[in-house]
Amino acid sequence: MARAEVVVVGAGINGVLTSYFLVERGFNDIVIVEKHYPGSGGTYRCATGIRASFTSAEHVEAMKRSIELWDQLSKKHGFDYRRDGYLWMLSSEEHVEMFKKIVDFHHKLGVNTRIVSVEEIKEIVPDIKPEGLVAGVYDPLAGKADNFRSLLNILSFILNKGVKLYTNTEAKKIIVENNRVKGVETSRGVIEADKVVIAAGYGSREIAKTAGLDLPLENIPKHALITEAYKYRIKPLLIDWTSSSYLVQVFHGGILIGAELEEEPDKPAINRIEYLYTAARIWVKYFPWLAEAHILRYWTGYYVMTPDHHPIIGPVEDIEGLYLITGFSGHGFMMAPAASEALADYIVEGRPRLKIMENLRYERFKRGKLIKEIAVFG
Amino acid sequence: MDPSKIIVCKCENVTLKDVIDAIEKGYTDLESLKRYLRIGMGPCQGLYCLPIVARELMKRTGKSFEEIFMPVNRPPINPVPMKYFLKKPEGLKSHG
Repeated sequence: MARAEVVVVGAGINGVLTSYFLVERGFNDIVIVEKHYPGSGGTYRCATGIRASFTSAEHVEAMKRSIELWDQLSKKHGFDYRRDGYLWMLSSEEHVEMFKKIVDFHHKLGVNTRIVSVEEIKEIVPDIKPEGLVAGVYDPLAGKADNFRSLLNILSFILNKGVKLYTNTEAKKIIVENNRVKGVETSRGVIEADKVVIAAGYGSREIAKTAGLDLPLENIPKHALITEAYKYRIKPLLIDWTSSSYLVQVFHGGILIGAELEEEPDKPAINRIEYLYTAARIWVKYFPWLAEAHILRYWTGYYVMTPDHHPIIGPVEDIEGLYLITGFSGHGFMMAPAASEALADYIVEGRPRLKIMENLRYERFKRGKLIKEIAVFG
Repeated sequence: MDPSKIIVCKCENVTLKDVIDAIEKGYTDLESLKRYLRIGMGPCQGLYCLPIVARELMKRTGKSFEEIFMPVNRPPINPVPMKYFLKKPEGLKSHG
């Protein structure tokens, strides 16, 4: 029977980075089990944006740390990460007034966002036709990272250090005896371990149930498309606030667009042709040349939502040896470095280096201590 | 023939040598090779390159075709300009 010190369920960016931060502290007796292939859940489907401009102290502080770590990781492991900004495009004065309060909140926490005029928007995004816009909010600290190379390079680094990865291997059951974790039953046999990390994205709720834990997670289907590659020109990630739609030019050049369709939680994420109409109509208005751009791929994925839209990070009080890093509510890629560092801290030392991360533990839902936001946003 | 002169993926300009090097580096599944080399992610959407790379993988790893399995094909399969999606046809119902 196989044995490891730590079993990580899920080879997405959070499972891989949790293992990485453990390796950095001298632990390598780690097995990662992955149902499909590394990155196959949220990581390879995400929009790659990274920002600290959130509306709760927990998100802002975690993301400030994440941004420091993204910089270090990208230099050490040779993948693209750039602070090319985020730009919210606002079409009503009401929204501008709301964002002024958010910007004040950011300034108090040391995040340098600012309200920008339509003229400034045109300078920041040279090709934009600012139809209907009245102002914007610019976050120069925000940016994006290459989701493929970041995962592949860091994974290859930890595998060379002795971490084991089982792909096409499904975690079936977390074995718990007398409130202690004993291991994981997988589609290829049992792996004994005293510590198990659930980093399983949209599969987290199912696998946690096998340990008797009913996590308050909902998987909400999301839609995205990408065009053929163009010269890298649109630097910031753009958010059209009125339609809650985003556009990001990835480093390779493709224009990636996400737009909202009404969806019910926990339904299969399926392609719907109306998505293409929704996305095209929002963005061709701002970039008329996009009408000629070819759509190459349209895919779906999930946001794994918690009731307060903040992740669950940390050990579980009632089950010794079980650790959670999930429920990122759409921000799993950007938060991965800080979240994974905190989880590795818990595993090695029992507490995270950033005290505010303790507010993100699972028990907050049992005690009714949900995270408060100053506005619902993003 | 020199593998560095054989273009496997015309969209992303990937040579057979790039593929062999990547396999030797440990990328022995099609999904990881796709993200590492960007094969299958250009305008042809893998129509030409993926079968060639899959064959190379089978040859070098001894894996069967079933083990290598092909990545999911995403719509619209052939590239379609966005202009065709500006006007919603009548009768296209929202079923959200």
